[in-house]
Amino acid sequence: MGPRPDQNVLEARNLKKAFGGVRAVDGCSFAVPRGKISGLIGPNGSGKTTTFNLLTGLLSPDSGQVIYEGENLAGLRPYQIFRKGITRTFQITRIFREMTVLENMLSVTGLDVPDRVARERAEELIGFVNLTHLRAEYGGRLSYGQQKLLEFARALMTDPALILLDEPAAGVNRTLLQHLLDHIHRLEAEGKTIVIVEHDMNVIMNHCERIFVMDYGVKIAEGPPAEIQRDERVIEAYFGRRR
Amino acid sequence: MKRAEHLRNLAFLGACAVALALLPHGLSLYLRSFVLFTMMYVVLALAWNIISGFTGYTSFGHVAFYGIGAYACAILVTDYGWHWIATLGAGAAVAAVVGVAIGYPVLRLKGPYFAIAMLGAAEGTRVVATVWDSLTHGGLGISMPSAETSMETYYAMLVLMVLTIVVAYWIGHSRFGVRLNAIREDEVAAEALGVNATLYKLVAFVLSAVFPAVAGGIQAYKVLYIDPPSVFFVQITIAMALMSMLGGKGTVIGPIVGAVLLYTTQELTWVNFPTAHLIAYGLFIVLVARFMPRGLMGLAIDQGWVRKGMVH
Repeated sequence: MGPRPDQNVLEARNLKKAFGGVRAVDGCSFAVPRGKISGLIGPNGSGKTTTFNLLTGLLSPDSGQVIYEGENLAGLRPYQIFRKGITRTFQITRIFREMTVLENMLSVTGLDVPDRVARERAEELIGFVNLTHLRAEYGGRLSYGQQKLLEFARALMTDPALILLDEPAAGVNRTLLQHLLDHIHRLEAEGKTIVIVEHDMNVIMNHCERIFVMDYGVKIAEGPPAEIQRDERVIEAYFGRRR
Repeated sequence: MKRAEHLRNLAFLGACAVALALLPHGLSLYLRSFVLFTMMYVVLALAWNIISGFTGYTSFGHVAFYGIGAYACAILVTDYGWHWIATLGAGAAVAAVVGVAIGYPVLRLKGPYFAIAMLGAAEGTRVVATVWDSLTHGGLGISMPSAETSMETYYAMLVLMVLTIVVAYWIGHSRFGVRLNAIREDEVAAEALGVNATLYKLVAFVLSAVFPAVAGGIQAYKVLYIDPPSVFFVQITIAMALMSMLGGKGTVIGPIVGAVLLYTTQELTWVNFPTAHLIAYGLFIVLVARFMPRGLMGLAIDQGWVRKGMVH
């Protein structure tokens, strides 16, 4: 037996990122528990998406570390981080519009995976999100909700260990959302770690085991849903100081 | 796509190649040249399409590589006594090296900035060819001694065209090509999904540089005289772009169809209207870009005659 894996899969340590004079992320630290669904919430502009971009290499931090399985990822390029097993979706979907659903899927896998295997995986995942009838359609012709599903499926092509979802519920109807949440729980059951940025509090409070709350670029609270709902600092961040 | 389908396409290409191989014996010298230049434009349009169609980096300077190939051939044949066939490989090698040198910095630019930087790079190459007297004979150009029967160059161009089509076909139907498409559609997302965009773009760029260089070399030996304005002629770049756009960039068949159609039309019109054909050319670019941005293949796809996407 090897050493027992750390109970945290990913740890952000004192991350900082400024754009000009705006300190979007200003010393943010948190640890993502392994094999669970966590939520990252906070008011608009609190630095959630910037944090995701720092974790996935789309931005490199001005200072601080991103420790993933004991290794610092800060400064690596996005494709390098992806190949370590971290994948993400985007707040505003970024599917490849003039490529078919199947091509969207196949663009992701490593070229070392044989064609046949990649195809089987792609077809399986397309079926998993109920898009089989649209497999030969351009990504850009899909409805917004279907694009979200495609992006979600595409993020799973390489069987990642850590999945970061940026507002998966936004613009998705209730039925589709339930479907998506079922998938997320199935991934959790498979032992994947999932972090969700979301404004939909039903999603966050009912499906996340641990919640991190950000405001003005720092983590202001952390805990299970019941605790977060009562937390004075969180209420204050969202609604202002109580009179 | 099924293996049988690939084999059928390949067989069709083989049949076309055999027909083209048998053709020149029955043709006049003029028609033989016409077919040769048509094949050359097929090569140029397909090569341009690798970086500009598949990858989405529209180049306005690809004539640079064509000119480099032409000069490599002319210099090595006249000053170093090489066999002209051997110069084609040298031209391709020089184009690949220059391709890396230009591509590495310039591929960091996007959209119009990349296009204009490539225009500048091509102009720069032309200026170098003009002022580097000791190597290129400067503005005087180079005349080559010849034992040319016009058959050798014809067959060389045919082989090059078949090779270019095979490579373009492979790229178009491979996951390598799908990833180039992903870079075209959304480079940030492609990177976030594991594509090393810098590397992929550079490989695509070098591939798209090598074939025009060989075409330039064959063309130089065909016409036996080159000078900087004729082989670094900006209109050649425009032709590559326009042919791809007309047929449908980002596809394999599109640039082939576009090159054949446009070169034939051009040949027919300029005989009758020597100046008007340039105006017609300009007008044509505008019309295609405005009304048929995805070209004839786009039209065929919208009509349901051709399937969407390259990988099925």
